[in-house]
Amino acid sequence: MWRQVLARHGALVGVVWLAVVGLAGAFAPFIANSHPLRIVMADGTTRYPLLENLTPADVAIPLVLIVVLVAVVLRRWVSSKWRWGGCVGVSAVVIVCSIVFVNPPQIVVFAQYRQALADGSAVSAAYTVIPYSPSDRFRDKPELKHPLPPDATHWLGTSRRGADLLSRMIHASRIAMAVGFIATGISLIIGVIIGGLMGYFVGIVDLIGMRLVEVFSAIPVFFLLLTFVAFFPRNLYIMMVIIGCTGWVGYARFVRAEFFKLRAMDFVQAGRACGLPLWSILFRHMLPNAVAPVLVAASFGVPSAILYEATLSFLGLGLVDEPSWGQMLSQATGAGGGFYWWIAAFPGFAIFLTVFGFNLFGEALRDVVDPRS
Amino acid sequence: MSEEIAENSPMDQPNTPDPLLQIQDLSVSFPAQGGQRLQAANGVNLSIFPKQTLAVVGESGSGKSVSAMSILQLIPTPPGNYDTGKILWHGFTPPIGHSFGVGVDLLRYSDKQMRQVRGNQIAMIFQEPMTSLNPVYTIGQQIMEAVLLHQTVDRGQAVAIAEQALRDVGIADPSSRLKEYPHQLSGGMRQRVMIAMALACQPELLLADEPTTALDVTIQAQILELLRKLQSEKGMSILLITHDLGVVAENADVVAVMFAGRIIEYGSVQAIFNSPMHPYTRGLLRSMPVLGRKVDRLDTVMDGATIPEDFPEGFVVQPHDPEFKPVAGGAKYGGNHAQLHEVQPEHWVLCAAETDDAKAKATQPELAYRRASDTIAATS
Repeated sequence: MWRQVLARHGALVGVVWLAVVGLAGAFAPFIANSHPLRIVMADGTTRYPLLENLTPADVAIPLVLIVVLVAVVLRRWVSSKWRWGGCVGVSAVVIVCSIVFVNPPQIVVFAQYRQALADGSAVSAAYTVIPYSPSDRFRDKPELKHPLPPDATHWLGTSRRGADLLSRMIHASRIAMAVGFIATGISLIIGVIIGGLMGYFVGIVDLIGMRLVEVFSAIPVFFLLLTFVAFFPRNLYIMMVIIGCTGWVGYARFVRAEFFKLRAMDFVQAGRACGLPLWSILFRHMLPNAVAPVLVAASFGVPSAILYEATLSFLGLGLVDEPSWGQMLSQATGAGGGFYWWIAAFPGFAIFLTVFGFNLFGEALRDVVDPRS
Repeated sequence: MSEEIAENSPMDQPNTPDPLLQIQDLSVSFPAQGGQRLQAANGVNLSIFPKQTLAVVGESGSGKSVSAMSILQLIPTPPGNYDTGKILWHGFTPPIGHSFGVGVDLLRYSDKQMRQVRGNQIAMIFQEPMTSLNPVYTIGQQIMEAVLLHQTVDRGQAVAIAEQALRDVGIADPSSRLKEYPHQLSGGMRQRVMIAMALACQPELLLADEPTTALDVTIQAQILELLRKLQSEKGMSILLITHDLGVVAENADVVAVMFAGRIIEYGSVQAIFNSPMHPYTRGLLRSMPVLGRKVDRLDTVMDGATIPEDFPEGFVVQPHDPEFKPVAGGAKYGGNHAQLHEVQPEHWVLCAAETDDAKAKATQPELAYRRASDTIAATS
């Protein structure tokens, strides 16, 4: 199935872009960081400031991604039970360990290494590809008048506050992807469970479930989010939860329709006649047969969650200091009516390409899953 | 023929073992239009004895599948409802609180208890081999899931059991077949896999719900031959549900003809085929095409059911009414007073008795089945 999807050029382009964005997001601190990888001080000591300043998320996200990729690569040799069990187990250990053991310093002075190199207290330093953190505002160079247009030092220019735009965009892709996938994941879990129960049990369960679906389809998500950020502190996770808890109705409908069809199939009856427990029939036997249309719907759900986050950030209701594509867009116009094209163009393109990439992928997936359309 | 049978089986001394499964007075209903309830099964009495093949024949909607599904509690409730009846299971391992040999009522089992019976003690195979296997798992995974669920074996042993099960149903090269997906197999192969799956846990009773209907004729013969062979090897009982009278004649020991939720005629396969008594059974047999017999039109079931003089004195079987709707137990079919009467030795027909003499011949179904089973034991 995946081979067929990737055989479509549009889908391939989309997937490649999404892979670039995803990898950039996951490994952001190792790509764009003001902290040198390794710095040799004048007194001969060697320090690794980048590693010292990693946050728990900076450690956990790339490691979990590597674990998942290893699990995918091992699919030929290891049975799926061990693979996914191991995957979840190792990821959980990694996440807990990084929360417990990774303690970055609270106060960070981005300019200290540049200054150390300049005044000779450090001999040499090795930097990442882009030697600027997203929040590094170059306080050591007050002579610069931000925003700067793209040039050799700042490939995509700087923002109005003076941070490197490319660095901000790379770090922002992590937030975009996280919002998209986590919100959609929450929706999927709720939608599959409710839709599955509706489709399998029909009758009164279906009746109640469908009323619940109608109630939730009537909630205007955007106004709920606006209301929420007006009353509560800005919190990315609460945003994800709100988007997730209101977006499940589509998936529930899909799963319900598929389960209606599947429950009459003989293999479901045969499973019951074999004495399989209910959860096994629902989630081991019926769900894999119903998952294709849900995946298609999910591949359209991720970009819509990303767009919600970008819109909120554009309106200034998103995160305060964390980089976000939408928030960058809103900085494209200056106080004096100036327009900085690079601040509008690059984050705008990133949003556009990401949403477009998901849509291309989703369309190809739909064509493969359902050849009638 | 019938005299011989009567001599061989003493009337009052049944000498067969206890039945494996008894369905007693089972009624199952579903909601129908206008707030009425449709009796899909209406006072069904059946007994299956060890190593016996009981065929249940009847047209669609006659309640054969409903009766069989009730055994495993596979009828969804609601909308269905088990109105009356007991399903007594005398098979292996009665749960705690039940003494051995008394029989446990499967209808009173909780879902958890039922799961111990399903697939393990009573297995079922279905009509459509094309859809009976889950398309997303290999056949090995599907057979092993049932084995691992019911038996305390490790994975390696489960693989061995699955391989042996495939070998038993005549599939060559089982170890590589285990890794194949259902779409890679032909229809006959899939039905063999279904049978292998059902038999992997060594059930004592196999419910075969029209196992050959979806297969072409040569494959049908192979599958039936296979079922016969496995039955004699493993000593299990089979409840064979079918509407193919040819299948019945070749495979069954005892036949129950069902119509509108009731068993209307019951007896050994010889009795039913040689001297059908009930007008419906006659119609059913007459409407079967016979090789070599030239007819312009095949008889329909309805035509054959209007010959009251064919029936023995004292018994009135109501003529088949073309307007009859399959809501069983109505006045038109002898009403709920109709009982199984032993019209000939070892041959029971559902009818309403007119005279006291005739009424006295009404038989307790349990005795009927036991005696019929004796007959089978004596003749086979």
